Amino acid sequence: MSAIELTNVSKSIKGKQIIKDLNFKVEPGEVFGFIGPNGAGKTTTIRMIAGLVSISEGDVTVMGHSITKEFSKAIRHVGAIVENPEVYPFLTGMQNLKYYRRMIPGITKARIDEVVSLVGLEKAINQKAGRYSLGMRQRLGIAQALLHKPSVLILDEPTNGLDPAGIREIRQYIRALAKNENVAVIISSHFLAEIELMCDRIGIVKNGALIDVQSVDDTTTDTTELRQVSIEVDQPEVALESVKAAHQIDGDIVDGLVRFEINKDTIPLIIQTLVEKDLLIYKVETSKTRLEDKFFDVIGENVIE
Amino acid sequence: MSNIFNLVYNELLKIFIRKSTWVLYGFLTLIIIASGFFAYFAGNERTANYTDEGWQEELQQENAEIGANAEQDVFMLGFNLERMSENNYYLENDLQPVSYGAGQFVADASFMISIVSLLTVIIAGGIVANEFRWGTIKLLLIRPYSRAMILFAKYVGVLSFAIITLLYVTVLGWVVGLIFFGFDGFNPQVIILENGSHRYESVVLALLTDYGYGLVSLIMMATLAFMISSVFRNSTLAISISIIILLSGSTITLILSRYEWSKYLLFANLNLRQYEEGGRVAIEGMTLPFSITVLAVYYVVFIVLAWWVFGRRDVAGD
Repeated sequence: MSAIELTNVSKSIKGKQIIKDLNFKVEPGEVFGFIGPNGAGKTTTIRMIAGLVSISEGDVTVMGHSITKEFSKAIRHVGAIVENPEVYPFLTGMQNLKYYRRMIPGITKARIDEVVSLVGLEKAINQKAGRYSLGMRQRLGIAQALLHKPSVLILDEPTNGLDPAGIREIRQYIRALAKNENVAVIISSHFLAEIELMCDRIGIVKNGALIDVQSVDDTTTDTTELRQVSIEVDQPEVALESVKAAHQIDGDIVDGLVRFEINKDTIPLIIQTLVEKDLLIYKVETSKTRLEDKFFDVIGENVIE
Repeated sequence: MSNIFNLVYNELLKIFIRKSTWVLYGFLTLIIIASGFFAYFAGNERTANYTDEGWQEELQQENAEIGANAEQDVFMLGFNLERMSENNYYLENDLQPVSYGAGQFVADASFMISIVSLLTVIIAGGIVANEFRWGTIKLLLIRPYSRAMILFAKYVGVLSFAIITLLYVTVLGWVVGLIFFGFDGFNPQVIILENGSHRYESVVLALLTDYGYGLVSLIMMATLAFMISSVFRNSTLAISISIIILLSGSTITLILSRYEWSKYLLFANLNLRQYEEGGRVAIEGMTLPFSITVLAVYYVVFIVLAWWVFGRRDVAGD
């Protein structure tokens, strides 16, 4: 059974179809990213999965329960941060968590302490949440979402407004949750580089339709795929010539870097050639071009914020 | 289902933990203490004490004083004439009046239910709208309860707030009365002049009657504010419309009373006391069953609107 399954999901507002026939599944333990420009329908889709926005056609199931027909059973498995991490500012962090605890049976006091230490809020937990920084509110939001051990975690733009250290931390939590607790995670973002690091699969949305679903390849496995390799050397022209002579590979020079489109196995050969020519290598960089290109192909770079 | 108590508890927690609620309670406390001070230091006949042996003479003396001071006390004339009439009733029926005390003070302070109505309207107007303003509505609606249940818990929260607050003013009123005027028994009997006729009645019954009539308007206005809060997600709108109706309803009724349709207005029907014996009906042709029917229709419309809109609303981006 999939953790989340969307079947022919559409949403119309005043006769205009804003979500068009979405079909996809997210499996337990998988991190699924949802990416597209603002206004593409990411947030609406996420809110339909959480039951906050009604579904015009089709259905969403969470752990096998329909969100429209068996709302309570389905939502029991869902933890979510939708948009900003919202807290009651006049309650302390602890009072906020106890408040949510009262609404779902079976959450122990020990579980509260567990999530508090998981998100590292022990010191500030008895302060009024109104005095929290954005990062602390984000942590409290995650604690709230994890309180009832959900099988599905929904995160809408979870790193909005966070500093790099905070983003890194969230990324680690999410990966660990999926791996250790078999939680299915669905994340929306308009920021490709971030979501690429977090997700197993990425769905690209544009104008309410799911254009493409891509696996984020682990760089160590697929050795035949072409990737872009940029090398910083002391004499770029010499490097270009000698690689061409030795391997019949053409490259170009961009911003002083020598750039080739090659597969993984070719990288050490090229480096070896450069070393034999006594060139000084300062930096070798590879980037996965596929997803990014695909993304910009379908979306157009300018639209991305 | 048993968890409805937890939901209501959560609603009351959110109400009572906020400083703004404490300010409202401070305001209530001040009004009651000020009433006690005023009644005590004004030192008028209302708060007199009577002795077992000489109460007849004391009442006659009181009436004489009222008569003598009538010229200066124009401001209090209506009140004093009422007092004389009550005193005469005691004398004619040979009933010994009870000395003034805590019980009678609470009954005199039954107007506090209007202020409790005001506070309840403020709470009701914010209870749904605030969740939208704080953004917490999204987290509230992804718990394993139907929206109807969440809204029901909020409505019960509002009514619980009204009852708790009414209990608070009653108990505080009694304590303040006790401090200023002393103990007058748990259920003293007094003469009450209402709509031109006298009743010899227990203070507790009189208080409950006042509260009963007051609760009709309290519940209607709180439900109106609650409905506006749910439909428009705007607490300012909900609170101001309801308070305007609460404060100026009777004036508006008076102005519009020459139109036949005005008897269908909500505020023309809020005061059921107009149907008591000797009462004056606001608009010709209105009866108690008529008003109850009008109120019931308004109530059902408010409830249906509130639940229908809340249940169907898409909680989309702001």
